[in-house]
Amino acid sequence: MTAKRFRFVATMIITLIFLLAWVFPIVWSVLNSLKTDQDVLAYPPKLIFQPTLEAYRDVLFGSGSILPNLISSFVISIGTTVITMLMAVPAAYALARLRFRGKKFAGFYVLATQMLPPVGIIIPYFLILRNIGWIDTYQGIILIYLSFSLPFAIWLLVSYFEDIPFEMEEAAYLDGASRMRTLWRIIIPQVRGGIAVTIVFVFLNAWNEFLFAVVLSGNTVRPVTVAMFNFVSVEQTLWAKLAAVSVLAMLPVVILGIIAQKNIVKGLTVGAVKGGGRR
Amino acid sequence: MTGRGQVRFEDIVKMHGEFSALKGVSFDIEPGEFFALLGPSGSGKSTTLRILAGLDAPTSGRVFIDGRDITATDARDRDIAMVFQSYALYPHMSVYENIAFPLEMAKLPVAEIDVAVKDAARKVKIEHLLDRKPGQLSGGQQQRCALARAIVRKARLFLLDEPLSNLDAKLRMETRAELKKLQRSLGVTAVYVTHDQEEAMTLADRMAVFMAGEIQQVGRPAEIFAKPNSIDVAAFIGSPPMNLLPARLADGDVIIAGHRLKTAMQAAGERDVVVGIRPGALRIAPDGLKARVELIEDLGDTKVLDLDCAGTAMRIRVGDESVPPEGAVISIAARPQDIHLFDPATRRRL
Amino acid sequence: MKPATATAGIATGTAASDLGRVLAQRERRFAAALLAPAFMALLATTTFPLLFLIGTSAFRMDLAMPFADGFVGLENYRTLLTDDRFWSSLLVSLVYTGATVVLQVALGLALALLVMDMKRGQGWFRVVAILPVVLSPAVVGMIWRTFMLAPEFGIVDYLAINAGLGSKNWLGDPLLAMISVIVIHTWQWTPFAFMVLLASLASLPEDIYEAARLDRASAWQRFRRITLPLLRPAIVMVVIMRTMVALTAFAAIFTVTGGGPGTATEILNLYAYRKSFTELSIGYGSALAVALLIVTLLISGVLFALRRAK
Repeated sequence: MTAKRFRFVATMIITLIFLLAWVFPIVWSVLNSLKTDQDVLAYPPKLIFQPTLEAYRDVLFGSGSILPNLISSFVISIGTTVITMLMAVPAAYALARLRFRGKKFAGFYVLATQMLPPVGIIIPYFLILRNIGWIDTYQGIILIYLSFSLPFAIWLLVSYFEDIPFEMEEAAYLDGASRMRTLWRIIIPQVRGGIAVTIVFVFLNAWNEFLFAVVLSGNTVRPVTVAMFNFVSVEQTLWAKLAAVSVLAMLPVVILGIIAQKNIVKGLTVGAVKGGGRR
Repeated sequence: MTGRGQVRFEDIVKMHGEFSALKGVSFDIEPGEFFALLGPSGSGKSTTLRILAGLDAPTSGRVFIDGRDITATDARDRDIAMVFQSYALYPHMSVYENIAFPLEMAKLPVAEIDVAVKDAARKVKIEHLLDRKPGQLSGGQQQRCALARAIVRKARLFLLDEPLSNLDAKLRMETRAELKKLQRSLGVTAVYVTHDQEEAMTLADRMAVFMAGEIQQVGRPAEIFAKPNSIDVAAFIGSPPMNLLPARLADGDVIIAGHRLKTAMQAAGERDVVVGIRPGALRIAPDGLKARVELIEDLGDTKVLDLDCAGTAMRIRVGDESVPPEGAVISIAARPQDIHLFDPATRRRL
Repeated sequence: MKPATATAGIATGTAASDLGRVLAQRERRFAAALLAPAFMALLATTTFPLLFLIGTSAFRMDLAMPFADGFVGLENYRTLLTDDRFWSSLLVSLVYTGATVVLQVALGLALALLVMDMKRGQGWFRVVAILPVVLSPAVVGMIWRTFMLAPEFGIVDYLAINAGLGSKNWLGDPLLAMISVIVIHTWQWTPFAFMVLLASLASLPEDIYEAARLDRASAWQRFRRITLPLLRPAIVMVVIMRTMVALTAFAAIFTVTGGGPGTATEILNLYAYRKSFTELSIGYGSALAVALLIVTLLISGVLFALRRAK
């Protein structure tokens, strides 16, 4: 019995350490965002302090507000999501359902595009977008975001389309519905859940992207992940404000992540299960 | 409505790559007939139905409906309704919307759709379920919903692909009878795919027995039961299946295990044959074939005895008359007209 | 008994296969229409840049000195082979990738096994594990760089001081900086390995464990002989996915050390970026990116071969 009790306690302690390790940096950022700079820099670190929303007020409405950057992030993420879904839903349906020559190759191609390191995409695109004056524009960033959001969305959606029985389409066809109508009236309503999950993940990936954003953003279009750097410079770090900005940047994705909780494993491993070796 | 829904298959071949799913299938279905396509899985019966529906295209051959060649006609333009094995109900639509869908696609006015939907729902007794979603229905109710969706359009042909296979045994029996009544009252031609010979026997006006991509026999159920034209059909139709044993035919008598049995066959000379006798056609009679009772299966109203007849397993079905105990040696016989003879080489009826 | 109407002929054959052909053609056209937008976009944003990249890697292209630009053939690649910084970045890449992947899988698996046996509290783990993986690596890097690793008031340094180790320059010392970026990456992505392996563990049938128990297998034997082999596909999948990501990690290092001190944490991916966009040597940067692609393909080739083996 004592051995069992010991194992139980050991398990509890180890798992609690992990839980703490994962939660702490996030909670600590939230706490720091509610402090004044003096409190942030206090030694030893302060757990008890007079909370204030000053940092949030400053970063949102003070000079050098990051409000435009938050808006940039939203425009980029929503734009990417909308365009990605408009293209990915039909493509995924075709890959999951239709019979045509070259289907295997098409599926493989979608996967293979993800092998290309992002840095290898951004170098040529930087040159091209610079020539056509699309640096520091929404269309430039959204266009290049398709390079990672499309393959992801297509593969995730394929897995949902494949769950629908073939007879569904045959029944609709015999009932007199055209292919487009069948897709629109019969199939898409049945993958609503999958489409919602895909939207969450595409948004999340676009929101979190950094490399393309850092190269292509400028004074007009600068998402919050890049704008964060304004608060950390060689001369000084604006501690509480940085914490506030971090929290604001985390907030949307944490909310989305918790909404999509049940599907997160599927969303994270998409393509790997299906693709890779087999297709 | 009668006069519509005549079907003719002319030498239909279907290849899947090198594999031939159908090897030249021909048959006719009369208007208003309940026609069953019966066979084990993989025999080509479902492929036949799909070709008739237009969901698959044949490799060669022609399909006619009401005298018109529709081989190259699109499924949507064939005026055919179908009930799928899985029902294929649209899960996001209510029962009402499911039934209305084909009419909506045909661009009927809303008022007309409403009348037709309620009428179809009444015919299959689900008018109280119209607001439900398919997921909220029992298996039997889903099956009725699928039926309603198929009959609402008043198509000239009504295809059913194993529609009862997902129901439990009791419900299957009840639905079977209702299905037959429904088809009669609508007067529509029905083509029915099943692997269950009992279902085909009870439902069909006529049926086609499929084996390995070919039709073995077409005819009325009773006819096929009485005169199966090959060993395979004989073995497939009837439960428990027909006893089939190798024997010697000599001057119209068969010799089994040294015992002579009279047959209806008038032929001189000697040859090898396969003898077929239905378990129900065997009787316990004096000075017949000697056999030992191995096992008694009590089915309630009848009993099936597993016999060992000189090393060959046989079965006999007996009624309430005195049943010998297990281990007893009995003597069995059959009327000459109940003895079927087949050629062991061609497997055809002699 | 066949109704003898066998009038097979050329005409029959054509009518039948016509429908087949029409159906197949219609299906093809529909598929093409549905696929066209996505595939055009993918061609434009992935395949086309790849070709362009291979092209620019054959040029001297210096945004700071445009007058010297010109075709140089394989010159960039020749330079690369004798470039110490390239070889060191390749080594850093391999160390970074190897260390983070091994740590993620080992910790993730251990934790999944522990949590699997827990009767209560699994739900907490499932929620908490989501937090790190949905965050932007840029934000994570920023938080660690400041609130966790800053001298004295950063929590890690504070703990180090209290543990008697004294204040360390976590991001200024080459070895500590490397350890730091590895720890940060591991912190963020161990939950991923944990969640995937936990899901995979949960899907293993219970009865085989009961059977093994009846066969008197010890806990360790059950783990070695049953759990591990059954989890192997999931583990290999995690390794493949995490390797690909670690090789092209950017924000997680860029925001923390920027590749420094010096080039101590400069993985190949970061070197290609710095060469192209900090030093503005686009031609040579392109060659580095192509080299990274080749390394990625080689490593994934090995991993996929491992996956197929056995």
